[in-house]
Amino acid sequence: MAYAYLFKYIIIGDTGVGKSCLLLQFTDKRFQPVHDLTIGVEFGARMITIDGKQIKLQIWDTAGQESFRSITRSYYRGAAGALLVYDITRRDTFNHLTTWLEDARQHSNSNMVIMLIANKSDLESRREVKKEEGEAFAREHGLVFMETSAKTASNVEEAFINTAKEIYEKIQEGVFDINNETPIPWIPSELQWRPVTARSSDLRQLQTGDSCEANGIKIGPQHSTPGSPGSHLGGQQAGGGCC
Amino acid sequence: MSGENENTMDNTSPQESPDGAEPTGLDSVEKVPVVSEPVAVTRKRPESKSNSVSMEEEEEKAPEKKDPEPSEPKSPSGWGSWGNWGKSLISTASATVATVGHGISTAIEKAESTLGVPSPVELSFRSNVEPTEDANASDSPAVPGGESSSPMAGALGFLSSISTAVQSTGKTVLTGGLDALEFIGKKTMDVIAEGDPGFKKTKGLMNRNSTLSQVLREAKEREEQRVGSAAETQTHGKAHYGLLFDEHQGLAHLEALELLSKESEAKVKSILSAQPGEKVVELKTELEPLKETFSLEEFDDDDEVEKGDEDFSQEIASLFASLQITVRPDKLTRARKAAYIWMTEVEAKGMEENAEEPETETSGKKKKATVEEIHDLAIHSLAELTACSMELFHKSATLILHGETQVPAVSRGKALSQMTITLCKELSLLSKKVTTLLTTTGALEKSDVLNPLITGVFLEASNSASYIQDAFQLLLPVLEISHIQSQT
Repeated sequence: MAYAYLFKYIIIGDTGVGKSCLLLQFTDKRFQPVHDLTIGVEFGARMITIDGKQIKLQIWDTAGQESFRSITRSYYRGAAGALLVYDITRRDTFNHLTTWLEDARQHSNSNMVIMLIANKSDLESRREVKKEEGEAFAREHGLVFMETSAKTASNVEEAFINTAKEIYEKIQEGVFDINNETPIPWIPSELQWRPVTARSSDLRQLQTGDSCEANGIKIGPQHSTPGSPGSHLGGQQAGGGCC
Repeated sequence: MSGENENTMDNTSPQESPDGAEPTGLDSVEKVPVVSEPVAVTRKRPESKSNSVSMEEEEEKAPEKKDPEPSEPKSPSGWGSWGNWGKSLISTASATVATVGHGISTAIEKAESTLGVPSPVELSFRSNVEPTEDANASDSPAVPGGESSSPMAGALGFLSSISTAVQSTGKTVLTGGLDALEFIGKKTMDVIAEGDPGFKKTKGLMNRNSTLSQVLREAKEREEQRVGSAAETQTHGKAHYGLLFDEHQGLAHLEALELLSKESEAKVKSILSAQPGEKVVELKTELEPLKETFSLEEFDDDDEVEKGDEDFSQEIASLFASLQITVRPDKLTRARKAAYIWMTEVEAKGMEENAEEPETETSGKKKKATVEEIHDLAIHSLAELTACSMELFHKSATLILHGETQVPAVSRGKALSQMTITLCKELSLLSKKVTTLLTTTGALEKSDVLNPLITGVFLEASNSASYIQDAFQLLLPVLEISHIQSQT
């Protein structure tokens, strides 16, 4: 339950491409062929380990329907990573990628890591979009590309974890300024800048507030005794369906 | 210091500008010692200097707390001077969520001083002095490693840390005993539920530096820390409200609701600023009745009859039906049902035990739920119900913005307001039922085991009620924009 960082992810893409199924596969390791339409956004969470550090992924699975578009735009705020998903058996979902990307770039932090996901790779016989096309699109727009199958779980772990690795690297490189542009009013100015790897606990407490909101990274609490009895509740757990 | 803060709160009646009362980050930092102190005590760490200073101040200021405030226009009938601390509590709670924990602790302090019960601070101080040499370190400037006992950490203190402090007071028995605790619990619930005119409250929410979900997330994180650091010393209190609330995605839904609320508020502002003067006046007049539905003034604390499963589900369902959105409150009603199922089971087991072999308490414990188990189940149910409520409000906001069917915003406001009241009453009933169970089950327990558990349940119930009411207030801008858009 203790974690070093919390990353907010957002999953976007046309309706029916398998966003909710990818999330379910990642959090619960199961596949549900029929899924209710997502209303607005649903949530899932899972803990992963990168470089020996526990990282909690808080995943926002958005509704793909056009009519929810203006609402889901509000949810981009504060995301550190995005999975942009299309369905290899429906070319229109691939054609809409540009609009999704524009939306994402416009409403999120410019450092947000975007992973392009070509889902339903198990349906090879119905493929309409070649892998090369996806790769080319990703190259052109500076995205990471991966073909996945929420059904067979192929590459699902990798998609989520590689995105986290990329975010983590950006943090290490200092690209993601955890401190953000807004100074924290009550911190003395000499403490306003600090390397993101700094472990000064007092500051970490503060960093969990406004300062990190804009880039979707929150620094977790320090744990003097990890693996405490209370922690068995955590771990993997997905947000349930809607009411 | 707490006295000063409190005065500020008292003076800020809902009619005044919320800006005055709005705590800056600095304010919360200043409040730290009051809230963080019990936390530090819980961890059995030496206290920092500032803490001991605040404690002295607190004792000095204690008599002031009893003073009634004649400036308050009305107080709830039948409670005499209780109404006064109640009012101050509610303005504290509504001025900013960041001070919710503090407000309640203030209320508790007040309640306890009024009742002649020692304040939790005193209690924890006393009990700390007795058993450990460490406590004497309060005079020493050495502050341990610093991470978790950082004053910042306590600034936005979570109620459960207070309740744990109360739990950990161990030896000391509240002189008022059970009655006093029950009284505090009930009044805390009632008073929190009173509310103030919705608009001001929402404004207060919107303008503050950090959002409710951030505050809660930080609190949860500190709670995680506390779980870690207190693991060896704490024998009971396995259930941690904040963690459970997050686990049921309460935080995520609240954060999402906040995003929608902010976005709506920004839209309302930009629309109003783009209109000619006359039109603005007209729109504002139209929005007035909507704001009134967010005042929650009709909350009535006498009407607390226990509802059956069917009644509760039906009431919630019919309120949802009147919103005319395609969301079903099934998850909430299931959670509520589950809570009543375990309570009934515990009750039944308890009776069996008593009937069969009343004396053999030790052997009976294996089958019969312990008071700690009941406490944990209760905290879990409260966290789950509150998280479900967050989800419902978030989904309501989503679907209202989605603009499915056109229902007048005022009608929706009324239904949501009624829903808030129903939910808060439900939590109040649940906590009462649990504490009854605790008292009957723990009849043979020492009061220093039982009382903190009971206080814990009451405190988390009032905690829950304030989250629900704050989430409700976030819906006002959503309804405002939906009203404005329906007009154009």
